[in-house]
Amino acid sequence: MTSAEQVVHAQGLRKRFGQHTALDGLSLMIKQGQLFGLAGPNGAGKTTLIRTLCGLLRPDEGEAYLLGWRMPSARVRSQLGYMPQESAVYDDLSVLRNLEFFASLYGLRRHQIRARAEELLDLVDLRDRTRQRVGTLSGGMRRRVSLAISLLHRPRLAFLDEPTAGVDPKLRRTFWDYFNRLADSDVTLLVTTHLVEEALRCHLVGFLMAGRLLTQGTPDEILAQTATTNLDDAFIALQERGEAKS
Amino acid sequence: MTSLILTRNILQRILGDVRTLALIVVLPLFFILLYGSSFSGSYSDLPVFVVNEDNGLASVPTAELGRITLAVNLGAAFVEALDRDVLNVSLLDDPEAAQALVGGRAWAAVILPKSFSNAVVNEAVRAGGERRIDFEGDRLTLIPSEAADGPTATLIIDDSNPLLAQKLYQTLNAAFARVLESQQSSLTVGALLDVRRLYDGRIRMLDFTAPGIIGFAMTLITVMLTALSIVRERTGGTLTRILIAPVSAWQITLGYTLAFSAIAVFQTAELFLASTFLFGIQLAGNPGVVALIIVLFAIGLQGIGTLISTLSRNEAQAMQFVLFLVIPSIMLSGVFWPQETMPTAIRSLSYVIPLTYANSALRKVMLTGSGFAELASELSALAAIALVAVSLSVISMRRQGHTA
Repeated sequence: MTSAEQVVHAQGLRKRFGQHTALDGLSLMIKQGQLFGLAGPNGAGKTTLIRTLCGLLRPDEGEAYLLGWRMPSARVRSQLGYMPQESAVYDDLSVLRNLEFFASLYGLRRHQIRARAEELLDLVDLRDRTRQRVGTLSGGMRRRVSLAISLLHRPRLAFLDEPTAGVDPKLRRTFWDYFNRLADSDVTLLVTTHLVEEALRCHLVGFLMAGRLLTQGTPDEILAQTATTNLDDAFIALQERGEAKS
Repeated sequence: MTSLILTRNILQRILGDVRTLALIVVLPLFFILLYGSSFSGSYSDLPVFVVNEDNGLASVPTAELGRITLAVNLGAAFVEALDRDVLNVSLLDDPEAAQALVGGRAWAAVILPKSFSNAVVNEAVRAGGERRIDFEGDRLTLIPSEAADGPTATLIIDDSNPLLAQKLYQTLNAAFARVLESQQSSLTVGALLDVRRLYDGRIRMLDFTAPGIIGFAMTLITVMLTALSIVRERTGGTLTRILIAPVSAWQITLGYTLAFSAIAVFQTAELFLASTFLFGIQLAGNPGVVALIIVLFAIGLQGIGTLISTLSRNEAQAMQFVLFLVIPSIMLSGVFWPQETMPTAIRSLSYVIPLTYANSALRKVMLTGSGFAELASELSALAAIALVAVSLSVISMRRQGHTA
């Protein structure tokens, strides 16, 4: 076991799919209450990293600890929140029934579910759609339902895979404010994004490419390291360096 | 032209998916090979008991010498004439024991009484009129006797399977006909035989096939529904959410088992009610026994559905895998043609098919009113299949990404 303060601790993770190396000896450490932004181009390995950390995939090499437990472990599941990249909602159920079903898997009681559902539906701006079938919602709205489901049981550690994809700018800002508030209350979050500027809202940022973490640090550290003025330029510079190395 | 573009797109996608392509190529071959090798049309190994008490002698009146005794040994001739390619003949001494075994260990029993030869020869003379024979150097005329010549043969036949009963009757009939031929008799076999049918011929072909058809409908619906539902959950991502929640693989499997088994039981109840009230299909046994068979069968089937979902990347693949199960089920489980007509290798394949046991058990309870004791082997097999399928489902559920 590692120190409880180190909520995520991965060492030398390697994962291959046939000839393709999705994770290439990746190491990562995230402390309690940190909001960690994981950026990188498509196919960089962001989703594979999250699925491996959660125990949904077994690494070929290396090991990962979540909340002090070596993964895969059943003990941490009640404290994990996971928003997959696909919507992962039941289209034939209403928004509320979706929330109720997944919350009940975490042992929440009916009145707790109602209270939490109201709070999260306010956050994702779907309070007026509670009774609507999810299948009739737009893609962006379904992603918002998915986010609400992932946070309903008050996880101590949340993995959010592109939670702002397809979400309008105003709501995106609301989401990031909420993620920061969660982090302030000691919830640890790992959030992937392909909108690099969003990473400015994170305490720590990691840039993933070809299964390797090219760099990680605070946004200011990364700007200084790359001698750039914005994260977009910083990541382009890092990407070019990465490509040059490989 | 646009249609051709669409056609090309579909074919390219199919050709690019090795598993779907393999299923497309293999499935029709599998179907026809299975059909060709399972439906040989010839029966073999039908267990039949014969009790031959015949003393081999016939006492016949003659015009010249009064009664003479002929050593004709027709009982032995009958046993000799039995077609061993079709029948598995066991000789017994006790007529009552043989009779009791019909419907359990044998499809039929033939009892040849002490006076069998005597009765056959005299019946033959009565039917054909006077006949001249050579006897110890003399030329004698056999004349019809008026007195009764004792009982002729008794055939006890299990007619719970009309197809098999018909084949047995034909085969045994042929052996009797050979015996009669040896006596140059125009007598018909029917006149010689006292035929007792266990179910008095009240089991119609409709009754006989109904249990298998109900079982087949269950197989198709339950496996398909389970496999497609789980594949849809996986491709839609909801299964991932369930797998990552604090729920064990056992709990997930049990949840699916209860849901899909309940649906299967409901559908079967629907099938039973419709077949009973609309078509008068008989249910001779206890409905509670039927319910137990259905529950065990349903659990096994949904377990198989879960396994199929593990092997399938998408719903189209799952459908093809379902066909791989369903085709052998209908061909090899004895629903339409008896397993006794199948070559040994194919028959042994049928022993791993759940429908084989469900069909046999449902037939026994619906047609002959069997209880738990008579169904012990089928119920044990169904329970074992259910246990193995559910255990493998748990393992496959873990493989789908569980961390327990």
